[in-house]
Amino acid sequence: MSEQSNNAPAIETRALTKRFGARTAVDGVDLLVPRACAFGFLGPNGAGKTTMIRMLLGLTGASEGDMRLLGHPVPAEREVALRRVGAVVEDPRFHPHLTGRENLRIVAALRDSEAAARIAPSLARVGLSERADEKVRRYSLGMRQRLGVARCLLADPQLLILDEPTNGLDPGGIQEFREMIRVLVEQEGRTVFLSSHLLDEVEKICDAAAIVDRGRVLTQGPIAELAGGGARHELIIGVDDGERALDVLAASDAVREAHRSDEGLRIVLAGSAETAAEINALLVSAGFAVTRLEPVRHSLEHRFLEITSRLDAPAEEVRA
Amino acid sequence: MTAIALRMFDADLLKLRKKRGMLIWALVLALLPVVVLFTVKAIQHSSTPAQYGPAGGTSGYADGLRLLSAFFGPLAAILIGVEAGVGDSAAGVFRDLVVTGRSRLALFASRIPAALAVCWSIMIAGYLLVLLGSYAFASNLPTPDGALILNGLGFTLLATGVVCVVAVGFASLTNSKPTAITALIGWQLAASPLIASISSLGSARDGVLSQSILHFSPIHFGGRADNVSMSGGVALIVMAAWVAVLLALGAWRTRTMDA
Repeated sequence: MSEQSNNAPAIETRALTKRFGARTAVDGVDLLVPRACAFGFLGPNGAGKTTMIRMLLGLTGASEGDMRLLGHPVPAEREVALRRVGAVVEDPRFHPHLTGRENLRIVAALRDSEAAARIAPSLARVGLSERADEKVRRYSLGMRQRLGVARCLLADPQLLILDEPTNGLDPGGIQEFREMIRVLVEQEGRTVFLSSHLLDEVEKICDAAAIVDRGRVLTQGPIAELAGGGARHELIIGVDDGERALDVLAASDAVREAHRSDEGLRIVLAGSAETAAEINALLVSAGFAVTRLEPVRHSLEHRFLEITSRLDAPAEEVRA
Repeated sequence: MTAIALRMFDADLLKLRKKRGMLIWALVLALLPVVVLFTVKAIQHSSTPAQYGPAGGTSGYADGLRLLSAFFGPLAAILIGVEAGVGDSAAGVFRDLVVTGRSRLALFASRIPAALAVCWSIMIAGYLLVLLGSYAFASNLPTPDGALILNGLGFTLLATGVVCVVAVGFASLTNSKPTAITALIGWQLAASPLIASISSLGSARDGVLSQSILHFSPIHFGGRADNVSMSGGVALIVMAAWVAVLLALGAWRTRTMDA
């Protein structure tokens, strides 16, 4: 693999579009997935996540746009690009009449000459060594998910593409899966691109994410930035006289919005998070007893709902 | 290239030889009719020797060969060819093979030798059974000579091999196991003999695959098979055309379909 390919982003798409007749499943997606990170592709069911993955892997053609995997243009250099890519698309499928080990043998035969030697370590890594010689038809969905990951590892992948990988895993299995992904990324320097509709999962596993809905990437970046929601800083305030404090806060230039909530008063700061100290001083000097002054921690879920709900708003409101 | 081709062949062979249900049906189709044939003929001979001759000998060999190479053998070949052609898609793993980056044409091509290997293994077993019956029940009748034995083996492998390859191509084209099996068995058992028996179709009947295959038989088939006569060259071209067209269509579908 050339030096340029080694330095290139794991995934790069420009204006990638897929149409099924009149319906646009993926709409001009620009995506940049850096190397050596866990990247979440987050969106509700039907958002176009799987279609996007299927295009990246050459399972279906793109209607428009360009894409590169590990620096190689796809589909022009698809064969080279996919040599070091492991993928589980939708639910992991296998030949049910073969054992787990035999199923891996079939895929190893298509990979490089070292792949067969990776079968046993891959099975061990996903905790299936003891069940590897049972027929796959006896496997639970969780075991098939794990076997799917083992199948990915046969390629010694620089990039793993996992489509809804925790479907069917029990809580213990999900925890083990998270740990495995972090080891793949942090200790082995691999890139993991995982699609999910589970916000919590993406927030816990991934370093960065793209939020996708109705075939469009709405935003992308590090998880902390996405969850922070840009420059929006909010406080929850507990005071002895809420009604009067609300008037004081609403009159302050440091406050953009102020309203009552179940937790107390909730305000949006006009400036940075540091202006919280000004708010405290303002309230104390006005004679209020401040019992609580707590920054609101935005979750990715909050941000996700905030972003996707904008789509339902009229166009002018979105621009505002 | 050779190493990867061998690995892919080995993988496709593994899928087929572990498909127990299909293998049992193929074995039943290839072996059971031969067993029944010699058993029934042996019983008839032992109960009424004046009316029925010995079950074996050249005549028993010819009956066994007809049954294996022209009737039940091709049915077994269809089962094997269809499984090879559509097994990956039916199990939903075709996409997982495609994402390895290996060319779809290579995936398609590796199905053919694997299907032939399984098909011919079963047919050789069936043929050995025909030979066993021919010699074991020969009594005072002449037995097949070396040339006939070799020609018969070659014909059995040709007849079933061509059908098996056509089945791989057709199944890959339809991408549906039930559709492919129904259509191919219907063609083999009903449509082909019917078309061959319609004399008004004239030389158009030369295009029927089973008729072109029968041209290379070392034994006399009689019946409808006698209705269609063609030169060796035409028979060869018809067989090659069937194989080439169905393989091309199967390869095209494998290359272009959404995985």
